[in-house]
Amino acid sequence: MIQIKELSHHFELGKKGQKTILPVLKGITMEVGKGEIVSVVGKSGSGKSTLLNLISGFIRPTEGEIRIDSELVSDLSEAKFADFRLEHIGFIFQSFQLIPSMTAYQNIELPLTLKGEDEKKRKEIVNRILEKVGLEDFQDHYPSELSGGQQQRVSIARALVLEPTLILADEPTGSLDSETEAEILEIIQKLNRELGITFLIITHDEEVAQIGNRTISIKDGRIMEGVTAV
Amino acid sequence: MRYKDKYRFIRQNIKKNRARTFMTILATAMGCAFLIVLASVGYGLQQSVVKETLEDQVVTQIQVHAKEVDGNFEAITIEDIEKLEKVEHVKAVTRRNQLGQIPIYTLDNYKAETMAVSAHYPSEVASGLELSEGRLPENPNEVVVGYHFSDKLFIDSAENVYDEETNEVKEEFRFKGNVMDQTITMTVKQDEEGKVKEEIQLTIVGVLEKPGREWMIDQDVYISQEVFEQIETFTGSVGGVIAAEPDQMETGHLEIFDLVNVYADNLEAVQGIVETLKEENYATYSVVSEMEQINTLFTIAKAGLILVGTIALIIASIGIYNTMTMAVTERAPDIGIMKAIGANPKTIKQIFLLESSYIGIIGAVIGTIVAYATSVLVNIGLPMILEMAFGEEMPEGLQFSSIPLSLVLIAVTICLVVTILSGMRPAKRATQIDVLKAMRREI
Ligand SMILES: Nc1ncnc2c1ncn2[C@@H]1O[C@H](COP(=O)(O)OP(=O)(O)O)[C@@H](O)[C@H]1O
Ligand SMILES: [Mg+2]
Repeated sequence: MIQIKELSHHFELGKKGQKTILPVLKGITMEVGKGEIVSVVGKSGSGKSTLLNLISGFIRPTEGEIRIDSELVSDLSEAKFADFRLEHIGFIFQSFQLIPSMTAYQNIELPLTLKGEDEKKRKEIVNRILEKVGLEDFQDHYPSELSGGQQQRVSIARALVLEPTLILADEPTGSLDSETEAEILEIIQKLNRELGITFLIITHDEEVAQIGNRTISIKDGRIMEGVTAV
Repeated sequence: MRYKDKYRFIRQNIKKNRARTFMTILATAMGCAFLIVLASVGYGLQQSVVKETLEDQVVTQIQVHAKEVDGNFEAITIEDIEKLEKVEHVKAVTRRNQLGQIPIYTLDNYKAETMAVSAHYPSEVASGLELSEGRLPENPNEVVVGYHFSDKLFIDSAENVYDEETNEVKEEFRFKGNVMDQTITMTVKQDEEGKVKEEIQLTIVGVLEKPGREWMIDQDVYISQEVFEQIETFTGSVGGVIAAEPDQMETGHLEIFDLVNVYADNLEAVQGIVETLKEENYATYSVVSEMEQINTLFTIAKAGLILVGTIALIIASIGIYNTMTMAVTERAPDIGIMKAIGANPKTIKQIFLLESSYIGIIGAVIGTIVAYATSVLVNIGLPMILEMAFGEEMPEGLQFSSIPLSLVLIAVTICLVVTILSGMRPAKRATQIDVLKAMRREI
């Protein structure tokens, strides 16, 4: 599903003339297989989010290759990468990233709208997914009128509408209490089981990491050798 | 993304900032209305001038004054006429000569003094000359007279025949009968005092049609070329002018003409004929050429007015730029989210361009409506104000402001171009928004 080869990334800090270079990832090589749930763990600041942002195409690597579904995405133009994201990847963010002026229904509908589906088809799909995540009664609520767990379920629903084969999640339960966290993790496992969706989950929480078939640990910008479980 | 959905997006965005959007649309509408009203004055005055000019004259007529030969102007000869008649699209070439003196005509105890003109009837008829009564002359001593000829006749013995105010023959001295089939005596002089005179008997066989316009007067007597030549022979001068010393020129047959008119068979052909004649070195005058010059002038004036109006729109576009920039900034987090889940930069750009076009279109529509209303008010109000201020009647049908469809199209196009251009940069900025920064609410 995901193949990463010799991936390095650094940030440039400071103004011109007195730039300092902050290396974050140093030659990462890893693979995520189809249908896996892979957790990425590591201390805060170890570069987990940076890795995910590179895979997502939000930032471009300084060096190395990233393939998703055998497409060399690290070479795609911004516009092409956007189309690729829309078609193939679902996203779950720590802070949900819902559009506040849109209802739950409209937020879930957004990827379908962007793809240009007609209204009838959109309605059919959104209603089916609303049911799946148990939000039928909240479809007309705005994000501010929903609890954290409900918001994260809306965001999961939004990630699902275009039936992606891969979902990237950066601290999906980071803003939730433990009870809600369990709820969300259950949904993730169910989706993996029933739909065979591949998950790459970033977390600093060991309990969350447990749901993965496999755990990758990052330290000092490198993958820790020999560690496959925490 | 479907246009319908983009439009829904825009509606939602606009709803959030009603007041701001309204003010921006208002500014655009004002700019657009200003442009249209300003330019409409050019259009209106042009229309009035053109109408006024065209109504007075025969539009298919081309007057030929002379022919230029080696830098000198020479009169039009019969050879020229024959050449002119052969030019393509020429319907007729009329040729007239004015008598060099004003003869006196008597009819019983009435008399009149008015111009005598010789005309070539076949070409006159071909050019559209029509009679209100009678027929065309068939022999040399038959004449037709202008529609107003009889108004010139007054009782021979009367004194102070003219009304001081109107300069017309007073009612009580006027000829009340019909001049048709009457025989009149034309008296021409050889010298100023009239010591040597000649009397020629003429029969009125026809009266010309009334001239096209109320104020035009046709009082001439149309004599035959034979009579014209007879007078030339009598005076011994070209055109029968009273010369101090009659020159020994060869008179007796008409070779040159002072009033030559070429008639085109349709309006579109006029300009082409004028060009052809110009190449042949004829000096011409036609309303159409005149019109062309007037139109060129007005086109320049209108372009100037549109330019000034465009400046108003450009000022309004600063408002649009501002509004769109703020809209992009405000919506940066939403744009970031949309980009993250896979919105194409092109889609984002289109949404913002559509929004600025939306402001432009609504502004242009409102501006056009306001401009039409203003135009109507100007056309009603301005003559009233001018009449009050100067106490003078404005000419009827004078239009200050006119808004043809072409002006609306020009204005709307300019308005749209300006608004889209001013929305371009903000739209581009929207596509460049950094996904991560936007999602961290750092913009
Ligand atoms: N946009 C950026 N510019 C500069 N430094 C950054 C940027 N993003 C992250 N970093 C730095 O890179 C390192 C890794 O960050 P991150 O990937 O967010 O870590 P994690 O998600 O594991 O906590 C941190 O030291 C962070 O300060
Ligand atoms: Mg992180």
